[in-house]
Order: sequence, then C-alpha cells, then structure tokens
Amino acid sequence: MDEQKQKQLNDSPLSSINDSTEDQTLESCDEVEEINDSFLCCICLDLLYKPVVLACGHISCFWCVHRAMSAFQESHCPICRCEYNHFPSICELLHFLLLKMYPVAYKRREKQLLEEEKRDGCFSPQFDDNSLCISNKLSSPCPPTSSIRCSQTLSYPKTHSSRKTNPSPIMDSQNSDELFRCDAATLPEKTCAGNSEVTENVSIEEDDYLNNDLNFKACKVVSIIDALCITCKQLLFRPVVLNCGHAYCESCLAISENETLICQLCRSPHPNGFPKVCLELDHFLEARFSKEYMLRREAVQPKPIYCQKGIPSACLTQAGKRGTLSSSSPSQDYSSCLSGCGPNVHFGAGCDYCGMYPIIGERYRCKDCVEAVGFDLCGVCYNTRSKRPGRFNQQHTLDHSFELVPSISIRNLLLRLIPDQSEDDSSDPDLHDDAPEDAEVTHSTI
Amino acid sequence: MVDFSRVQKELVECNRDKGISGVSITLHGDDLSHLSGTITGPVGTPYEGGTFQIDIRLPDGYPFEPPKMQFLTKVWHPNISSQNGAICLDILKDQWSPALTLKTALLSLQALLSAPEPDDPQDAVVAQQYLREYQTFVGTARYWTETFAKRTTMGTEEKVKRACTWLPSSSSLTQFYLLGRLEINMETKEKTHDILTLNY
Repeated sequence: MDEQKQKQLNDSPLSSINDSTEDQTLESCDEVEEINDSFLCCICLDLLYKPVVLACGHISCFWCVHRAMSAFQESHCPICRCEYNHFPSICELLHFLLLKMYPVAYKRREKQLLEEEKRDGCFSPQFDDNSLCISNKLSSPCPPTSSIRCSQTLSYPKTHSSRKTNPSPIMDSQNSDELFRCDAATLPEKTCAGNSEVTENVSIEEDDYLNNDLNFKACKVVSIIDALCITCKQLLFRPVVLNCGHAYCESCLAISENETLICQLCRSPHPNGFPKVCLELDHFLEARFSKEYMLRREAVQPKPIYCQKGIPSACLTQAGKRGTLSSSSPSQDYSSCLSGCGPNVHFGAGCDYCGMYPIIGERYRCKDCVEAVGFDLCGVCYNTRSKRPGRFNQQHTLDHSFELVPSISIRNLLLRLIPDQSEDDSSDPDLHDDAPEDAEVTHSTI
Repeated sequence: MVDFSRVQKELVECNRDKGISGVSITLHGDDLSHLSGTITGPVGTPYEGGTFQIDIRLPDGYPFEPPKMQFLTKVWHPNISSQNGAICLDILKDQWSPALTLKTALLSLQALLSAPEPDDPQDAVVAQQYLREYQTFVGTARYWTETFAKRTTMGTEEKVKRACTWLPSSSSLTQFYLLGRLEINMETKEKTHDILTLNY
C-alpha cells in the first residue's frame, strides 16, 4: 500500500493520466482517506484542489473561484458574500499541505481537473509535486515550491519546465537571465532584505530537507514545516493569505494608516485592505499542532485589530494607485461605468498579474501569447512590469509586446445588442438612450 | 455543463437526513438536470401538515447559476404564484451563491412558507389579502393546504364540499377567492360547473 502510494507520489502528474489500473487503486483508496470538512470546497463539494484563499479568508478551488467570479461587476464570496474583484493566486502552502495529507484523493482531483482543463483548453498553474525534496537535494537556485511548471510541455515550444531543468543552453543569455529573474522574483532568498534573514532561511531549508528525507520513505507526514509563516518562520498563528497566495501570521503583517499591504516575498501589493484570517486553516492548525499552537498563542501579544483602520484607508490608496478616478470601491467603478461615467471597465478581461477581474482602467493585451485565454495586464501591473507567470499557465515571456485595448463603451454595447433585442421586443424604442436603467437591463441580458 | 458529480453528492447529502430536515429530492428518470423536491409545511403555519412538491430544473451553469424552482403543489402564499407556482425568492435569483445547495434552497423555501414577505410579492392578490385581511388569508392558505398538499383519496368535489362546511366564516370574499382560483385550475369545464352549481 505504502509502496503504491509512494509510486504515485513519485510519478509526475501527467504520466499517471492514462493508467487505468492506477485509476482503480485511486478510486478504492479514496475512502481510506477521510477528508477533514475544512478542506472540502464549498462549491464542488469535493477536496479542495489548488486552493485559493479570498480576502475574507474563505477557501475554494482555483477553478471554482474563477467560475464563480462575475465578468461584469465585482464578485462576492460564495460563503459570506464579501465583495472582491481580484482573483487571488493559488495558496501554495495549502496546496502542498493537502497534497501531503491526502495524496490519493488529491491525485484523483488532479487527474479529474486536468481532463477538464484539456477539454476546455485552458490550464491552471502547474506545480512541481516533488518539489520539496528535489529542490533541497539539488540545492537549485530556485526552490520549485514557487516554480511554475507547464503541464503542456509538448504543445508549446517554450516552457517553464525546460527553463528550470536547463535554463542556459536553449535560450539566449539575455532572455534566460530575465526568465530566471522572473522565477526568482517569488523566492525568499532573492527578496529577503537582510543577510540575517537569508541565513535563517537556509537553516530552515536544511531542516526541511532532513525532515523530508526522513519522512519521505515512510509516508508524507504533515509537520510544522509545512505551515510556516513567511516572516517569523514559525507555525502560522491566525494565518492570513494575501492576494499573491502567500501566507503570514496575522500578527506578522502590519500596515500603517495610508499604506498598502505588500507581500514580503513577491513584493506584490495586496489590494483592498487587510485580509481576514483564514479560519479553516487556523482551526486545522490549532487541532493538528495544538501544543505548538498554544505556544504561539502565548508568544503573540494581542495586538490591535488592523482590519478596522486598515480597510478604508487601503482601499483609498489602492484606488489611487490603480490610476482610476478617485473612487473608493471597485463596485462604484463598475456601476459608474455602466451608467456611462467613470473609468473604463473591460468586461470579461482580467489582469494576469494582480488578478483584477474585470479590469478597471487601462487594459494591455499581449500580442504574442497564443493561448485562447489571452494574456492581459491592468495599467498598474503593466507599468510596474512585475514578473510573475500568468494565471492560466500562459507561456508569456518578457519579450512579448503589448497593445492598449480600447474599452467597449456602454453605447457601443447597447448598439450591438439592439438587433437581438428588437427581434424579440420591438416595442421598446427607449433602449437607444444611454439611461442607467437601460444599461442595467442590457447588462443583465448579456 | 451541469456539474453532475456535485449534484449526486447533493442528492446523497440531502436525502440522508430527510426525516429531520423535512426536505428531500427525488430523481425524474435518468436526467440529473430535472429533479423534484419535496418539503413539508412548517409547524405552526397554515401550511402545517402539507407536503409540497417542487419542480427543480438545473440550468447548464449550475451551480454557478441558480436552479429553477417552481411549486407543483398549489399553495396560497404572497411570494408564490397561486396560478403557476412561480417563486419570488432572492436566493433563487440575484442572491444565489454557488455555495448554496439544492437542500439549502429547499430549506429556504420552507422558511419562506413560515415567513412570507408581502412587501415583495409574487402574487399580488394573495399579498393584498395577507396585508388587509390576515385571518382570511390564514383560512385560505389552510384550506389550500388541506385541499392540495395532503395526500388523501378524496376527490376534488368532496374536498370542496368539505371545505365549504369547514370554512370558518361564510365571507363571500373568501368564497370568491376559492372559487375564482379553483375555476382556473380545474381540468375540465364540467367539473368547474359542478362546483359552481354546488355552491350557489
């Protein structure tokens, strides 16, 4: 049994797809693993796969969140209806935690979702399964915990995986250098400011390595190392997950009145104020590592709650940074766009860096990406040129060129819809007007 | 494309505790996108003792789009059409969330039966009655429950006879409502005629 599991774990996700005998073992083993209710996705009612944590702290699968988001206005959390308009990145910590805890069920989900992705021709970011062990053994410059690997190695000429294994021989020097920086941008070693932090990091990685080496043969045992805060390098206490998918203790993140929360690891700003604690993860950690959790609780002095002062101020600064009109919430932007005034909104298009969906303000589209899903950036991300891979595994590189996309005005949208409307209901001549009510009607019929 | 694996999970989950929750879902043949739900009338309401059938159709976008629900059993309620069973409930429209399930939606319908919202009506006639003549409303709702939501072997005519003796007040308005509504819903004109002569 253990050997079988081991085999599955060692296999790359793709190699196991067409293996029917393995499929049977996957099905039968699924009942052995009893999945904690905390880790069931509220949308597909199955084990979370590639979990995404929203700003309100609720977790769902990557695709479930994406499908639940509205292309025309701000989205609402399926559980608490909390408003958001950024599609967060996958929480890698949770991803690897779940992979370790439920290897069989997680593999089954991976297989199932990969089939769906193939059918739809749109892929989620792919992670390297054995990253923890391999990375430490090879002592590679980029720990694959944060490296993104393409699932469609064969179909595209340039892939992340080829980059990772042999970065230099294939590409010209400038390109590979840039790509390397692209991968490295998410690494602790590169972004940690002080030397002391770096050494601390390394020591932990050695720990990690030893631990993995010892545990790998027996079974994947979840240890505290799988749930460390990026800042304090201790067990997460009241974890919050930022828009970029990185997890911190609530107490390790502090923002002053007029500051935007910026991830210490990848330097990407967290939009719309201070995120809420991911309670499902918190409860799990408390139950699983009760002793260490108690110690952490004692160590962390109760600090004032940031949310209250954080949210409104951060919203304002974020709105300013977005380069939009000085509105304070995305929902206002969307509604003002529908009524014909206010910033442009690119319905159905999302920013591949910060995840804003739909994009408010300027939208830049990559002219060279061949994927059907396309590659877009919002104005801010285009200007900062942050170096992170696309949300849907696009093979975007920095030498691709962009074009500014004009947004469709409400008038054009209405004019486009009128032929359809008039066939059904010709008794409504008022539709030509740009009145907000009409905009609402059209919007809902899209 | 409906997420059928989720629907199947929902069916199992919902029918596991149907004795306690009072809601259940059954299949309509092999088609998983066409189901039928059953809820029991909440205790302490005019719907108590009734069993209400609900037609459920899952759109292609389910669970990202709300299921289409409609009462098959006739019910006298401000937020449910007395004509065709259409339901006015926000979570079945713009307030739907993919985290809701068929079970929670049916439970919400049960809650709607115990807490009508006459200010946001589906059936204006019922809502008017609810606001102006509450006692009459209760009587009518109870009568409709007795007539349509209880499984008896009685024929419609018998039910009407019984209802006429049972009615607390001989308010002509109540009878108007009853007959007016019944007339529309009779299968054949003969039956309507019988009932009308029966009462006049």
